[in-house]
Amino acid sequence: MTVKVEVVEGGIPHNTIMAAGLVASVIFIYLTYANVLTGTQLFSFFGGLAAVAAITWGSHTIKHLCSYGIGTGVPSAGMMAFGSGVIAMLFATKFGVASPIVAVVLAAIIGAVLGFLSNNVLNMRIPVMIQSLTEMAIIGALVLMGFAAMISGSFEFNPLTAGSVTILGLSLPSYQASFIGSSLIAVAFMLGGIAVQHPFNACLGPNWTQDRMLTLAQECGFLSMITAAVMSMVFLSFSAALVSVIVALVGWYYTYTKYIELSKRDAAAWLDAKPIPELEGH
Amino acid sequence: MTAIGAKPAAGAAMDIPSTIAGIILLLVIVGATYFLVGAGMMFYALIGVIVGGLLIAFGVHFVPVGGAPAAMGQAPGIATGVAMLAAGAGLAGLFGGAWAAEQGLVVAVITGAVGGGLMMAITCMFVTFIYVFGMGIPCASGKVAKDPITGDTQTEYKSQGTEGHGLPFVSYVGGVIGGLLGGGGGTLIYIMLLDVYKEALPGMMKALPAQVLPIAVSLAGIFAVGMFLVNAVLTAYNITGTIEGPHDPKFKRFPRALVASAVASALCGMVAILIVAM
Repeated sequence: MTVKVEVVEGGIPHNTIMAAGLVASVIFIYLTYANVLTGTQLFSFFGGLAAVAAITWGSHTIKHLCSYGIGTGVPSAGMMAFGSGVIAMLFATKFGVASPIVAVVLAAIIGAVLGFLSNNVLNMRIPVMIQSLTEMAIIGALVLMGFAAMISGSFEFNPLTAGSVTILGLSLPSYQASFIGSSLIAVAFMLGGIAVQHPFNACLGPNWTQDRMLTLAQECGFLSMITAAVMSMVFLSFSAALVSVIVALVGWYYTYTKYIELSKRDAAAWLDAKPIPELEGH
Repeated sequence: MTAIGAKPAAGAAMDIPSTIAGIILLLVIVGATYFLVGAGMMFYALIGVIVGGLLIAFGVHFVPVGGAPAAMGQAPGIATGVAMLAAGAGLAGLFGGAWAAEQGLVVAVITGAVGGGLMMAITCMFVTFIYVFGMGIPCASGKVAKDPITGDTQTEYKSQGTEGHGLPFVSYVGGVIGGLLGGGGGTLIYIMLLDVYKEALPGMMKALPAQVLPIAVSLAGIFAVGMFLVNAVLTAYNITGTIEGPHDPKFKRFPRALVASAVASALCGMVAILIVAM
């Protein structure tokens, strides 16, 4: 028996955010394919935008799930998302151009099985458990694929595992100088995992507002994107990496100022906080 | 029922039809893998991955996870969530075991177990220092009247209105056992996947084994981390966040977590193996 301790009042409904996040993320990942079509690397920054879109959706999914009081803390949901997402994402990279679609489908299957295990076998009995864990796995896979596309310029298995090093003007193939071979995927894992769980963890409580949390999610996404853009300098041309850094910095600055504004707005509001508040976030 | 009274939902009972469905799902996944890759090394790797997942799930039940109430001195245990503790202890073990990967399966798994156990022992020791000398609270369990190992009585030291506080001796021992099992399980998953990738990647990528070794290590590592976190969080769902250690009544719920973790490890392991088999 579970009691939902917090309701979404007003704001954008969850299904709208889910649809927008999924579509935007997949389209942004596909826009990095313009790299292959035009022969440049300048379109890599779309991968970062895909990650930001998925992280924004993810923060709202975590809010949706954690408002039932799962008792394990908010960060565990982010870790679950990326633990299941990384497996789906790496397998999906084998399918060439269809990779993002395969990642979504496979992550949905893994997430649904994990949701069934949590809800039925472990007897959690939370109405949104299966749907939320399915969404979380898709989010994990899309964020990782977005960062992979941004850092290495491609979302396919071969470019992700094979890089090249230049020694005395000669370009030699090297598997170590690649997104997976150099284990940058582990950094992307944590960059995304922390960005997706932080917004709800920071904004929960009786004065939770949707626009403030979603703005913080975008801010966290852009902050991770700055780091990913710096890492992409290893694999991409300088101009392409510079475009990514500028996009990330501009996006971060805009969302950060907006978040501070919204925080001041919410902090100035007077709340009828009773000694033991009835509306308690978890 | 008010929001304050709303405790996390999971009941203690086992849901038999769902458990049977889970076991059938496990058999289907194992059967499908056998059908796809045959009875070779890859199939045995899947079995190893499932065993590793079971060790992690069983191990996390021993770890005294206190959460926010422990940070306020109102419940016993280490004052953080399962995701952080499992990542700390399990990954420390995994890194330790990965160093010994060249010396064979048994040495590597034992090294991983020692790494995880050591990490938990150090964590528990400093947690006790901070509780006793920093917060000024004695260690007392709220779930049992006497410590099952030392036989010390607990109730005299327990403050009114709390569920106990600090880190009783039995919780400390439980933490070390949990670290041993978790670190060993994580290392077992890593070694099994590393062997598969070292065998299959040179042919798949048409390169020398030494050239693709970084890819094999990186793939096996990130898959092991992913599976570790999935198993740890599933177990956290089973114990609904907090547990005192092996003497806690919640410990008896572990059969459910074993079923869930076997299915989850089998599914993730199958995908991880098919990445090179397809």
